[in-house]
Parts: sequence; C-alpha cells; structure tokens
Amino acid sequence: MLNGDPLGRWRRAVGLNVILVTVGFVSIPTLVAQVTSSKQVISGPLQIPKGPARAGFDVTRLNTENFGAFEPFYVTETRLLGHAFKEGKVAADTRLLVTETATGKLALLTDQMAYHHLAQGRDGGKDWMATF
Amino acid sequence: MVCNSGTSLVPTINGKTHHFYHVGIHDALFVMQDAETRTLWNHITGEAVYGPLAGRSIGPMSNLLHMTVQQALGMDPATRVAISDQTYFAGGRRFGTASRGARVGGGGSGENAAMTDRFAATLGKEDRRRPRMDIGLGIWTGTTSRYYPIERIRARGEAFIDRIDGKTILIYVEAVSNTPAALFVDARSATRDGRVVRLDDGSRVESGVLTDRTGRRRPVERPQQMFTRWYGFSLTFPGCEVFGGAR
Repeated sequence: MLNGDPLGRWRRAVGLNVILVTVGFVSIPTLVAQVTSSKQVISGPLQIPKGPARAGFDVTRLNTENFGAFEPFYVTETRLLGHAFKEGKVAADTRLLVTETATGKLALLTDQMAYHHLAQGRDGGKDWMATF
Repeated sequence: MVCNSGTSLVPTINGKTHHFYHVGIHDALFVMQDAETRTLWNHITGEAVYGPLAGRSIGPMSNLLHMTVQQALGMDPATRVAISDQTYFAGGRRFGTASRGARVGGGGSGENAAMTDRFAATLGKEDRRRPRMDIGLGIWTGTTSRYYPIERIRARGEAFIDRIDGKTILIYVEAVSNTPAALFVDARSATRDGRVVRLDDGSRVESGVLTDRTGRRRPVERPQQMFTRWYGFSLTFPGCEVFGGAR
C-alpha cells in the first residue's frame, strides 16, 4: 500500500512538485503576456468604465473617435544623445522633449511624441512617463 | 500638437507599473487611459478623472522641457535619447520605418493655429480672458497657477524677473529653441543680450545653463512649467492668474 510506503510518498511529492513547477512555467509566460505591448493596448475594443467621475469631468464630452490611432511609445532601449548626434540620427536643431529619470535626463523627439502622445519606461528600477 | 502641453509623471500605482495610452479627447486635450483599470487620466496633472481610480494621482509630477539637441547636450552631455520607429526628419534626412496616424486637432502649429470642429466640440466653458490658441508659459505650484502670454514676455524684452509664492523666478524666451521657460534665481532684474540672459547679480543663463559671476555652473531649479496654449492651461487650471491681466 502506497500510504505506508516512504518511497511512494517521496515519489508522490516529487510528482506533485513537477506538476507545480510545470504549472508555474506555463502560468508565468501567460501572466507576462498579459502585461501589454504598445500595440496590444490599442488593438482591443475600447472600454470606458461607468464612472465615477471627478468633479469637472463630463464624460459626455469625451470624443474617442481616434482610439487606436496613436500607439504609445513603451521605451525598452535608449542611447547617448551625443552618439545619436554623431551618427546623424538627430541634428543640432532637432526638437526634443526632455524628462528626468532615475538615472538622468532622457530626451524624446518632439515630432515622434506628437504622434505617440506618451512614452513610458523603466530606468534605474523606477518607472517614468512623459506625456505630450 | 494642438495643445502643445506636456509633463512628466510616474506610472506606478500601488507599486505596480500601469500601461498608458491615448484614448480620446476632452476639453480639446488628449485623455489617457491605463490598461490595468481602464481609468481615464488628465495627462497634464496626472489626476484620474473617470473610472475606478478617479481622484487618484500618478506622480510626483515634474517638467518636460522643450529644447534642441544642441541645448540638451550643452546642459548635460550624459543625456540619453529614446527613438521609436515612427518616421521623423533630422538634418534633411528621413528616419524611421513607420508612418502612421495623421496629425489631428488643428491646422498649423504656431500662434495662428486653428482648432478643428471635432476638437472644439469637446470643450467645456472656455475662459475668454485670452484667445483660445494663444501661446505662452504656464507655471503652477501647490497654491498658484499663472499663465504668461508669449507676447507679454516678448514685450518685456524676452527676459524679466517675477515672483511666485514668495520665490523669485526668471521668465525668459530661450534663444535657441524660441520657447518660453522659467527658473528660480536670486536676481532682481534680467536683460537679454543676444543669446544670453544677464542677471543683475552677475550670473547668466544661456541655453538653459546657469552660471554665476565667476563662470561656474550652478544647479538649475525650475518651477513646474509648461509651454502651452491658453485653452489647455485655463481649462486645466480654472481661474488661473494671467500675467499682465486679461486681454
């Protein structure tokens, strides 16, 4: 009988652990996939909650016709502005929007931000966001 | 960009990163939404205006400053840049592989820009003290919000000293980017001398860099500020002060 069998108990424990680890490996990528790409956030159906509203906000004046038209800029890599300048990727008169992150100043191209409307990322272990 | 207004916020709520995106227009300003709760947020103040988190704020808020590459490198050579795949032009060359989304909202981007009817339909009760599309510098603290029309900054020689909440500020037009800006100073008067703003205490400001009378760079502190259009600032900060009074 397995209940009285130490080896059987060991085998059941290992089997259970294998199952748990397998479930974990399956679940973690799924959970990660739920955390959003910039395309993903604007590709699903528009969802507007039913309130509540902060004083001064009239949801009947909200126009959502352009939902999905502007992909946000979720920043995953940056480079030294000086290098980008030397390589000709930006010019001396290229217009920038400059914010501060945990590790220093970060520039975004004004022309690109006029489309994205917002950029966000993580730097030095802290989130940052710029809106335009 | 119609409203020309931007700021820096922190998209962390209860220790978790929330993912934001443009969802629509209200008061002719873009409204953002977060994917995690579908709450709608004011993109200038970081306040949640509608939805499950209404009343919350994401911050602390800080400045998003307009400048050129030349200025940015002069201020801090360690500045980094993030460039997306969206098409842009630099030095006469085109970069980027994605060209999507037409500019919406208005015709033109200067002081004579107009607002489309679609944007105008989202406006609430407007503040008529200044023209709707007037351009200027908006400054705000915990207790004061004040708008400096660009024409009045220019009329004061593009550099002058003012006070807000008991602190002295320099209001000036940055020569390289031609955008208005403000920073805290200790001076009593300021004059524009070409690309340099000279303060009566011997310090000077050039391309956003403050140096003292000995030429040593000094740290720059700025009030919360925004290069903005009147309608955007006045609807975000109802009853704000207007430097020089109403039109």
